[in-house]
Amino acid sequence: MTNPQLWIAVVENGCFFALLGLAFYFNLTGAGFFNFAIGAIAMASAFVGSWLVTEHGLSRPVAGLVGVLGAVAIGVVMELAVVRPVQARGEGELSALVAVGASLFAIIQLCGLFLGHEARPGQPVWTTSPFSLGSARISSTVVPLVVITAVLFTAAYVALRHTRLGRLTRAIGNDTEAARVLGLPINTARLLSFAAAGLIAALAGITFAGRSGVSPDNALHWTITGFLALVIGGTGTVWAPLLGGALLALANVFIPFYFGGDVLAYGLVVVAMLFFAFRPEGVFAPRVRV
Amino acid sequence: MSARIQSAAGILGLALLVLWAGEDLYRSSLLITMLTYALIALGMYVPFVLAGSLSLSYSAYAATGGYAVAIGSAHAGWPLWLGMLVAPPVAAVIAVVLGAATMRLSGFYLGAVTLLFAEAFIQLLGNLDITGGPSGIIGLPLLSFGGWEPSPFQVVLMATVLTGLLAFALDRLRRSPWGVVVRASREVPIAVDTAGVSVSLLNLVALGVGAAIASLGGALFTAYVGAVNPETFSVNVIFLAVFMPLIGGIGSPWGAVLGAVIVVDLTLNVDALSSSGTLLVSLSVLVILVLFPRGVLGFAGTLARSGTALLPKRGVRT
Repeated sequence: MTNPQLWIAVVENGCFFALLGLAFYFNLTGAGFFNFAIGAIAMASAFVGSWLVTEHGLSRPVAGLVGVLGAVAIGVVMELAVVRPVQARGEGELSALVAVGASLFAIIQLCGLFLGHEARPGQPVWTTSPFSLGSARISSTVVPLVVITAVLFTAAYVALRHTRLGRLTRAIGNDTEAARVLGLPINTARLLSFAAAGLIAALAGITFAGRSGVSPDNALHWTITGFLALVIGGTGTVWAPLLGGALLALANVFIPFYFGGDVLAYGLVVVAMLFFAFRPEGVFAPRVRV
Repeated sequence: MSARIQSAAGILGLALLVLWAGEDLYRSSLLITMLTYALIALGMYVPFVLAGSLSLSYSAYAATGGYAVAIGSAHAGWPLWLGMLVAPPVAAVIAVVLGAATMRLSGFYLGAVTLLFAEAFIQLLGNLDITGGPSGIIGLPLLSFGGWEPSPFQVVLMATVLTGLLAFALDRLRRSPWGVVVRASREVPIAVDTAGVSVSLLNLVALGVGAAIASLGGALFTAYVGAVNPETFSVNVIFLAVFMPLIGGIGSPWGAVLGAVIVVDLTLNVDALSSSGTLLVSLSVLVILVLFPRGVLGFAGTLARSGTALLPKRGVRT
């Protein structure tokens, strides 16, 4: 636990997991829905961006912009063409869950079919020169990841707590039926939440891929990781996924270091079961004013 | 479409598939893959469609079947059929234990935990000596019953009969009093609990039955191929097993069988689709969920009813 390089890895992983968790949080807040395709959206934006840079010589900012816009478009299309029609039939969450599962699978297959299944090097839009901090080596993606995490969480906090649209989104997420009776623009708020989730996932994927590359196989793992970061952190505050991501990153870095990589998979099952069974609301639970 | 017509069509369809495969080894292996997926999808049908519980550990249960056959043969010298008999109760016990541990979960939470369990289970299989590690167990003997070694065609025939019998039995089970209660517990669990029937127990039984059937799929595949490794039952198997009943139609277990045939044909047999087959499957699921929620069988039933309505009614003068 005294190796500073491991703590740098915790920070890096924690920021990425937290951003994925934040994307889940936006979907949950605005649409009352866990979007299991978040990992696939993050993967697709990073994968397409990398393909545009390496195969077509596009500059990183342009490729990144295409990746982000594509992710936002995927989020919007998912809501309009898949989730909304399926939920409108009122068949419960199982059909919607299968629908997002199929979307996740379709995004993975689309990337694999047209761009190949092999891993590609990440092409982050912004990097810094590597430098040393004490005995730890800070790689080129650490600072951008920390800065983007801080900016997105702050922006999310301000947007959800201090803007009219944010309060509207939370109100709709808390009680959709009451919001419907009051005539609030539910569909617009849902659409915005899907678009925002796509944006956050894309920025997370593009930035983190600069560290270890990206392949379609990452999608499912990233989805599960983001979901766990949200569930562990809770949904009581916008900062909760940050705590969940940090705790998950601690486990991801230190369990393999001390006990071996295989133990991590078993440990995650146990952690998930304990959290889901005994504290499904996470560390920060929503408080209800009476 | 009535249940009798669906069963008759299902049996006829399976018979035609056996005739199509004949003595051709490629077609036989393709049909075995279809039947393997059909058994896994039938297993998933019980908790997923009947009980409304989305457990995503079905690759683990299929792997249990495969490894029960392989370990029994390679380490204990069992004939392969004995491993196929041992697999269902072992898989059922694993499913019930996991089900009991996740009893308070549903929906997204249950899906996430069971998916993590499946991944961890497959990883465990790749790390143990008794399972042969990452390379698995290879070189299993041929299937034999007291010295009689059935030909590949006879194995295919037996596997088809087994699948048909299970689909028929599940269809009867779905319409039995137990099946009606399980389906009611999916829609109105509080009412069923209030009536004195434990919904938790119903779910556990459904999970156990489903896992036992799915393990037969893994056991059949391993016995036919003569080898197994952790990659045989990847996460993709889980997704395809969820999609199959939806594609075929959730109104009947025969829909799961039909879905398995369609999925395997699209992903493995249609040359023009080759690598895009899996993409087509996932897109088909989205289209079916949005436009035809009753799947192919449900759509066929709607067409049949429309056709019947257009026919002139006997004895009615116009």
